[in-house]
Amino acid sequence: MLDSLFDDVKRMNKRQFIYQVLSFGMIVSSALMIWKGLMVVTGSESPIVVVLSGSMEPAFHRGDLLFLTNYPDEPVRVGEIVVFKVEGRDIPIVHRVLKLHEKNNGTVKFLTKGDNNSVDDRGLYAQGQLWLTKKDVVGRTRGFLPYVGMVTIYMNEYPKFKFAVLGCLAVYVLVHRE
Amino acid sequence: MTNETPEVVKINKWDGAAAKNAIDDAIREVFTGELKCKESFALIDGRLFLCALAVGVALYALLWDYLYPFPQSKLVLIICVSSYFILMSILTLYTTFKEKGIFVVAKEKVGNVTRVWEASSYVKKHDDKYKLVLVMRNSNGKTREASIYKSFANFLDTNGTVVQNLIVNEITKLYNSLSSEKKEK
Repeated sequence: MLDSLFDDVKRMNKRQFIYQVLSFGMIVSSALMIWKGLMVVTGSESPIVVVLSGSMEPAFHRGDLLFLTNYPDEPVRVGEIVVFKVEGRDIPIVHRVLKLHEKNNGTVKFLTKGDNNSVDDRGLYAQGQLWLTKKDVVGRTRGFLPYVGMVTIYMNEYPKFKFAVLGCLAVYVLVHRE
Repeated sequence: MTNETPEVVKINKWDGAAAKNAIDDAIREVFTGELKCKESFALIDGRLFLCALAVGVALYALLWDYLYPFPQSKLVLIICVSSYFILMSILTLYTTFKEKGIFVVAKEKVGNVTRVWEASSYVKKHDDKYKLVLVMRNSNGKTREASIYKSFANFLDTNGTVVQNLIVNEITKLYNSLSSEKKEK
């Protein structure tokens, strides 16, 4: 069975094999280019994120998919839900803007809080950081799709499962001709 | 991965795509072997070049974005993303209008005339009919075409083994009819 799986590959000539590898490369790069294209269009370095915690309930639940934009000319306002990075943390946080100070020259500093948290986020920020600024912002939430992100969460919780799925797909594409 | 030894090709005969590929390969061998033509790779190399270029553009964008994180890399990303999708549409046009299912282009010199043979094949999904179109182009501008439309059963045996003899016969018949037609004129 496993032997016949690779029969196709064994029978290929040099050019067919190169094409097989390239078409696998094109599947990966198409996904990559769509992502990079979204980055350019939305201006956010990560245009789609998954909510990982329940800190924004009942607005967002674990597993919701959020669509972000980050246009420089759109000011951050109190009440908006922003996604921001904190130094020393790998995963960005999705929370609501609670307080905001804006200067005449346009620079802003703001404080955030999770709807479901009892205190504001100062405890989450980097040591000694009291306010967030524009450079910390990954994007503003523009839309969401409930529960779709659960797949990503499971994949990240069981990395072996993720690699198994991805590996199977890769082998299938590489081995199967057209 | 070379087809130099005449090995027996056995495939799952219920898999239309596998059957088509196996028969295509066998026909290619007939042209390069029995009919002593020289295979021309220009068409497939063109496609490989387009694919490699597209993957290269994507890798370049990935590298650039890694070296100069997002807001800085915006211009390069715009260029890469748009050229990638332009390349993809060129590739689609190339395969649908230029390659059109052609799986072998073979050249042969007869006297001072060069004849180019192009074989293309089509199989509908969930169908057992294999359609082969053979086009002959003379260097003096004449083009002739012949086709067969037969079930896989005419080329494979019950076990799914490609029967090379049947294919050789089939192709030689087409080859002769196209070549001799030319002489009559």
